[in-house]
Amino acid sequence: MIQQLPAIIVVFPLVMSFFVVVTGLWSKRICFPLVVTAISVCVLSAGIILSSVINQGPIHYWLGGWQPPWGIEYFVDHLNAFMLVAVSLLSLLVAVHSKRSVEQELPEKRSQFWSLFLLLITGLLGITITGDMFNLFVLLEVASLSGYALIAMGQKKAVFASFRYLVMGTIGASWYLLGVGYLYIITGSLNIANLSELLPHMYQSKTVLVGFAFILVGIGIKMALFPLHAWLPDAYTYAPSAVSTTVAPLMTKVMAYVLIRVIFSVFKPYFSIEEIPATTILAWMAAVAIVVGSIYAIAQTNLKKMLSYSVVAQIGYIALGIGLANRFGLTGAVLHIFNEIITKGCVFAVAGAVVYKKSACNTRELENLYRKMPFTMLAFTVGAFSMIGIPPTLGFFSKLYLILGSIDAKQWVFVGILLFSSILNGVYFFRIIQIASFETPMPDYSRGTPYEKVPMDEAPLSMIIPMQIMAAGILIAGIFSADIVSTVIQYVIPEGF
Amino acid sequence: MKIAGLIVVLLCGCLLIYGTVDFPEWGDPASPASTHVSPYYIETTMEDTSVPNIVTAVLADYRGYDTMFETIVIFCAGIACIFLLRTYTHQAPETRLYRHIPTGIILRIKKGGKLPEDSTDFERVDLQWVPYDLIIKTACRVVVPFVQLFALYVIAHGHHSPGGGFQGGVILGATLILYAISHDLRTTIKRMSEKAVILLSAAGVFIYASTGALCLLFGVNYLDYSGLAAILGVDPVSARSHGILIVEIGVGVAVMAVMVSLYYNLSSVGKQDEGL
Repeated sequence: MIQQLPAIIVVFPLVMSFFVVVTGLWSKRICFPLVVTAISVCVLSAGIILSSVINQGPIHYWLGGWQPPWGIEYFVDHLNAFMLVAVSLLSLLVAVHSKRSVEQELPEKRSQFWSLFLLLITGLLGITITGDMFNLFVLLEVASLSGYALIAMGQKKAVFASFRYLVMGTIGASWYLLGVGYLYIITGSLNIANLSELLPHMYQSKTVLVGFAFILVGIGIKMALFPLHAWLPDAYTYAPSAVSTTVAPLMTKVMAYVLIRVIFSVFKPYFSIEEIPATTILAWMAAVAIVVGSIYAIAQTNLKKMLSYSVVAQIGYIALGIGLANRFGLTGAVLHIFNEIITKGCVFAVAGAVVYKKSACNTRELENLYRKMPFTMLAFTVGAFSMIGIPPTLGFFSKLYLILGSIDAKQWVFVGILLFSSILNGVYFFRIIQIASFETPMPDYSRGTPYEKVPMDEAPLSMIIPMQIMAAGILIAGIFSADIVSTVIQYVIPEGF
Repeated sequence: MKIAGLIVVLLCGCLLIYGTVDFPEWGDPASPASTHVSPYYIETTMEDTSVPNIVTAVLADYRGYDTMFETIVIFCAGIACIFLLRTYTHQAPETRLYRHIPTGIILRIKKGGKLPEDSTDFERVDLQWVPYDLIIKTACRVVVPFVQLFALYVIAHGHHSPGGGFQGGVILGATLILYAISHDLRTTIKRMSEKAVILLSAAGVFIYASTGALCLLFGVNYLDYSGLAAILGVDPVSARSHGILIVEIGVGVAVMAVMVSLYYNLSSVGKQDEGL
């Protein structure tokens, strides 16, 4: 059964999503246990796949028993396996965290919600594991479609935000598909491994060039790389908190993984770096994204919107690491993808908990929060430290690798931007911490108790535990980041770096 | 802004055309697309799968996994539509219209008032009342069964002739929508309830996914239909052909149910009460 795990990890949550919808017709209580079971199986299989990849090398799985390039192949190497673990683990934590907020926000539509949630996870896992360009597109459709629907169920403005996301996302997916079509017409293949063998003979072809450009732009829209990010902040802000906690950490990061695959696996690194200066352009766009995203984040008064702009900035970090295209840079990018998944999950979960208790998360609601919700804010503090890059959190190490990469590439501007953006991150995260800890009403000495007593009003346990696990994960992964790099990430770096 | 948009569109168009410069010749038999993977499909489909229709073999067997997820996209659209539109808090409509069948007189009942729905003398009609039309109703009633029969034929013969689950499912769904348009939404929902529609759409995709999962139990890879030979009682090559038929049926059921579900929700804005 072990060798069938690559199929099971995608198909099991898929089949469970049918059961969730059908059982939801009679009893909505059963839906949530089914979801947790489905994702737990994913976590388990992802863990086994990762350990098997580390011990025995990459896995090839032929769907339908057909040999590639005639059939579809699942190809799992260190990068995929690691992403699978991160995606499934985070979605499990988010699912547990979201139980109460879904019951509060969408009481009657729980079964459809959980079904679409599972389809979203299926799509993301499928994108991560597949070794076929067209299969990737189909799973991208599944993930995006469920994402649009989930986002549209949020507050009043969510419908418009979701529609905008739908239009932009569809354009992005079309670009990607057009690009794949161009590559197919000139090579006749859709398999990633096969394409990377066939393409080098045709690197001079204009069709390959245009196809490459289209794929990059398509992925750029989907991963919200500046200036293609316009759909993201509204969509993530107005979505139901359960959805933004899932989509914000996972969707854009999975697309960043796809970007790494396209630049370094489908095409040979020397094509992306030297034949056309794709990585250089990417790095400069990323540098702008970091600065602009951070500045916009500072201007926000809504916690969720601030975090959404922070996503734009952090995507910049990842793209910068990819654009640097050297050993340290790429290590930093992959580590930062992992960091973003777990840290954004943590801080969005905090925003979800605040919305659950206060029904909004503007700066007003954040006042005195360290007294009211100490455990939630503990998780937020750890997450914020990781976003800023304070040791020993994971964010410090991923940024360290990015800075080392910039120094290695002798790009002093990027070093400056990385350091400057850390200050900007510090500004907007410490502002929240300051509001939550010090903004209290003035003491009134005419009364016996000058300070108004603030009772503790903590989120339910099913929310606190996942948040604490994520916060602990940030610290543990930070302390053991050298091990992550030596067991997983060093195999991701292409030869010649 | 409009001008900027136009410039971007023009630039993209130019880029698209620029990319076509190095395209292989139109219809060139030596182009990569027709020399790399296609010859294998053309030469070995019959030996591999015993399916005479190569397109179906590629669609449902060689790349059957993609097709499964295309069906999932449709399922996902159906669920998304229910998720977004369906309203469960039932508000009684302002007024209701009832027709007295023997006389053809229409009664307007004010809010709160209601005639028994199962009364044999009265039937409820929609507020945007369309006059009773015997010709349309009868014509549609006559046509529907034959169209459904043809839909089943299209599904069942997908691997021999053009057609298959998607096309057959669409035709099957269209017959129910035709029935709903010629009569009214409530009559159709009485025939095929909302629960049945959701159940069928899930069942359709489940047939596809579980056929693949069944193959795992026989020790072969996911969607490798040859593993089904043992339970189907045929040789592995014919088992592939039968496997394709099974998943095509699943696709047909799912597409039909999702089409009907979309119509139910879109035409009545999620109320599933009165609609076109």
